[in-house]
Amino acid sequence: MTTVTAARDAVVPRAADRPARERPSVAATAILLVGAAYCLLPVVWVVLAASKSSAELFSTLTFVPSLHLFDNIAELSTYRQGLFWRWMLNTGLYAGVGAALSAVVSAMAGYALAKYSFRGKASVFNVLLAGVLVPGVILAIPQYLLLAQVGLTNTYWSVLLPSVISPYGIYLARIYAAAAIPDEIVEAARTDGAGELRTFVQVAMPMMTPGLVTIFLFQFVAIWNNFMLPYIMLGDDRLFPLTVGLSGLLNQGASQPAMYTLVVTGALLSIVPLVALFLLLQRFWQVDLAAGAVKA
Amino acid sequence: MRLTTGIKAGAALAATALLAAGCSAGSGDAGGTGSGDSSDAAGPVELTFWTWAPNIEKVVDLWNADNPDIQVVVNKQDGGDPAVTKLLTAIEAGSGAPDIMQAEYQKIPQLVSNDAVADISGLLSDDTAGHFADGVWNAVTLGSDAVYAVPQDSGPMQFYYRADIFEKYGLDVPTTWDEYAEVARELHEQDPDKYLGTFSANDAGWFVGLTQQAGASWYGIDGDSWSVNIDSPEVQKVAEYWGGLVEDGVIDNKPMYTPEWNQGLNDGSQVGWLSAIWAPGVLSGNAPDTAGKWKMAPMPQWDVDAPATGAWGGSATAVTSQSEHPEQAARFIEWMNTDPEAVQALVDESGLYPADIPGSEDALSDPPAFFSNQKDFYEIAARTAQTTQPFTYGPNINVAYSAYNDEFAKATEARSADAFVAAVEAMQQVTVDDLVNSGFSVAE
Amino acid sequence: MTEPITQDAPDRRAAAARRPASAHVLELPPSTEARRRGGRLLGRHAAPWAFLAPAIVLFALFLAAPIGYSVYLSFRTEKVSGLGLGPGSRQEVWNGVANYVSAVADAEFLASVGRVALYGLLVVPVMLGSALLFALLLDARRTRARRFGRIAIFLPYAVPAVISSLLWGFLYLPGVSPFYWVFERLGWSVPSLFSSHLVMFAVANIAIWGGIGFNMVVIYTSLRSIPSELYEAAELDGASQVGIAWRIKIPIVLPSIIMTFVFSMIATLQVFAEPTTLRPLSNSISTTWTPLMKVYRDAFTRGDLYSAAATSVIIAVATFVLSFGFLRLVQSRAFGQEER
Repeated sequence: MTTVTAARDAVVPRAADRPARERPSVAATAILLVGAAYCLLPVVWVVLAASKSSAELFSTLTFVPSLHLFDNIAELSTYRQGLFWRWMLNTGLYAGVGAALSAVVSAMAGYALAKYSFRGKASVFNVLLAGVLVPGVILAIPQYLLLAQVGLTNTYWSVLLPSVISPYGIYLARIYAAAAIPDEIVEAARTDGAGELRTFVQVAMPMMTPGLVTIFLFQFVAIWNNFMLPYIMLGDDRLFPLTVGLSGLLNQGASQPAMYTLVVTGALLSIVPLVALFLLLQRFWQVDLAAGAVKA
Repeated sequence: MRLTTGIKAGAALAATALLAAGCSAGSGDAGGTGSGDSSDAAGPVELTFWTWAPNIEKVVDLWNADNPDIQVVVNKQDGGDPAVTKLLTAIEAGSGAPDIMQAEYQKIPQLVSNDAVADISGLLSDDTAGHFADGVWNAVTLGSDAVYAVPQDSGPMQFYYRADIFEKYGLDVPTTWDEYAEVARELHEQDPDKYLGTFSANDAGWFVGLTQQAGASWYGIDGDSWSVNIDSPEVQKVAEYWGGLVEDGVIDNKPMYTPEWNQGLNDGSQVGWLSAIWAPGVLSGNAPDTAGKWKMAPMPQWDVDAPATGAWGGSATAVTSQSEHPEQAARFIEWMNTDPEAVQALVDESGLYPADIPGSEDALSDPPAFFSNQKDFYEIAARTAQTTQPFTYGPNINVAYSAYNDEFAKATEARSADAFVAAVEAMQQVTVDDLVNSGFSVAE
Repeated sequence: MTEPITQDAPDRRAAAARRPASAHVLELPPSTEARRRGGRLLGRHAAPWAFLAPAIVLFALFLAAPIGYSVYLSFRTEKVSGLGLGPGSRQEVWNGVANYVSAVADAEFLASVGRVALYGLLVVPVMLGSALLFALLLDARRTRARRFGRIAIFLPYAVPAVISSLLWGFLYLPGVSPFYWVFERLGWSVPSLFSSHLVMFAVANIAIWGGIGFNMVVIYTSLRSIPSELYEAAELDGASQVGIAWRIKIPIVLPSIIMTFVFSMIATLQVFAEPTTLRPLSNSISTTWTPLMKVYRDAFTRGDLYSAAATSVIIAVATFVLSFGFLRLVQSRAFGQEER
């Protein structure tokens, strides 16, 4: 059960966590390492490729490293007065603020769906969840046309606001709320005289926090990696996130050379913050899509 | 675009809520959207400019320094197609378009047809037309009295080749297409890793240039109707020629502008490139170590007695129909594309081959650094540019181009001359069907 | 509330807590201030709606309204008159179901549907099978390097599809790929992954590479919540690890696998970024290679929002029917656990 895994780990020692008595399994370890190698391969490649000058990138074997990583970073940093770093900051802003708002909105909705019974609950949940079925590519143009009606296209808001609503987030929040918040605690708070809002903020939210961090992280990655929405919404390259900016470096039109070296270096730099998030917040990277939901 | 009242009300409501929450501050950064608030005559005007020309902001800086009242802000876009898509979406939506837009020549009929660009004929100096070759000027007027853009650069095609490799294998520079085929065959026989060129199914503009040289014009205006001539004998001739070379395997069939193609430019497996005047910029960016090894020659000819070439690339600058300051915008684009100082900067900073005739004579004296071994580079360029054949683009060239991608991808993969001719026929069909479906009148 | 089958400690606690609330009421002094503020602000009946309000408003504005608008557009079209030059020569008009009729009759669309079906048959089993395998290995105590393995396999999740497709593109192109360099040295003649009969694998590999990590984490999370007592007995009886995985662990995490299956299926139907990024590198991917690519081409390249909208609606409805149909098929109650 995702939300409370951290707590559970402390409470229930598991066989797998105890010092192993048996000898390690060579086959199991080998298969896992093969999988890891497969997943790391392109990442290793991008590190090596980012170390090459543009002439080397196309003239030396790609798995041979070179010494130009910092030259490339410096070149990328001077591209249009450091625009790349602005893209990085923009991406952080879109992903950070968008995911934080998304976690809060999802938490409120998930709590309402898990802890209250009211008419129309099933319909509301099903309709919200159906949002998963509509891909972003399809939504981008109508979203643009609607936001244009209120003059919000080509602003930070045009990317931020549509990123806040996350059907997955609501789905997960509902599971977390159902699992982590005992009904009796909510009842106790009410009997105690706390209002609904206060019960939510002071009692429910703290119990849901680990789950909300998870929702935040996954929505953060989703927004970080989003391409179509900002691509359509933004005309001003100072507002671009990394994905759109880098794709622009690649698609310069026929009469310009594609800036492969800058793109490859930019690609490397763009995944560094996410890798850091993975490493720092490891225990939150877990999702239970089905906890308590599916009857065997 | 008319929205149902309900949606409109909902959207308006949301906007009000946002503004009330103090959100408007964030958009201050976003630059003008063409609906700027500075229309009162007093304040300085800010114009947004969507473009993908490299370093164009340095040219714009020259203008901004001299014109404090008309400040131009450059918004870099993905080259060509994506920028047009975005512009058309903004036009559809009724807001969000820039004031000024870089537009490739082939896109102008499409932009005019979507009412995306303004007629600025009344806003330009009378002698503006005199700065440009007739064919180029025709591309921005579409043969009418209106003027939809001011030409910026053009892309007359030439043949670029590795002089060192030609020498090594004792090859002569081809002057006719028959010779080109011979050289391609000979080179590939001597070294099976090497190709004189590749047929790229990804670059419709390139194929247009090849057919233009052969005398084709894909569209025509026939009174009040469009005609589509993609399957004309001239185009079929070009398709069959290339299909034959690809079928024989003496010409590569992989697309250009891929990492693999870059590699080919670097390691000398791509020995020649039928390209345009901007080729030095691409070559120096993609294969900097091959500097001094390339040379440029006029295109191989179908008829040596009537030398001809096509154009690949080149663009004009337009004022969008959403601009609230068309007058100022027109003044800026006229300056950028005809003023001697600006044209010099377009050459020096952006590496463009200016469409402006008086300015380019002065600006283009020394060869580009990458071709410093070829002193007569711009002489040949000017000579070939004069032989650019007339060509008319149509309002759904986007459909024809994407049909080119799909049909020629199949044909090059099949490696058969018959498939090349079939591809041309399929393109004709798709393009005509689209025009008819949209309601255009189309001449049979 | 259905009793969850994942019986970890806190869940049991939660289950226990579901006895009549009065038995467990904590004796806290009533806070009059709280009653005054919270109690009046939000009544018990209005409360769930108030909590749902932000989600519903955002959903209405950024999902429902655009979808509704797309549906509206799907019944419209644009008609041009004459040469189509000059202002006002284009007019939007009603088009009935003509856009739908031409969408379902379109050979390119049908071909793209067939391709995606094949693609799904390739991607989903391989991706989920690998995810399950790696999750089980991570959960097995005789495996070493688990921490490293978990992070490494999850890492691709951090790479946007646009970027990962570019990276793989480099690795696929025989001219620049280090693999083909090795193959050449070994004297093997390996066909290009971009040749028309292999390109499906090239695209599928990128999706599999990007998707294993997330699904592995989902399944691993479920595995971790299995109390070890459940299989320690089996271990004492001499059951092998493979046997335990097969007979105990997999049945217990089946609900998670079903959910990953549904979400993977939806993602498969929506495949777009990978083939779109790879397309310019080869001759084997058409502009209508997948249904969403066709939507993109119609809307973006051809500027025909109306046909694109109709195709979008068809895709969304098909996704809906497939995913909910599948859930019904496995008799899941995932979407209705608390309804009565």
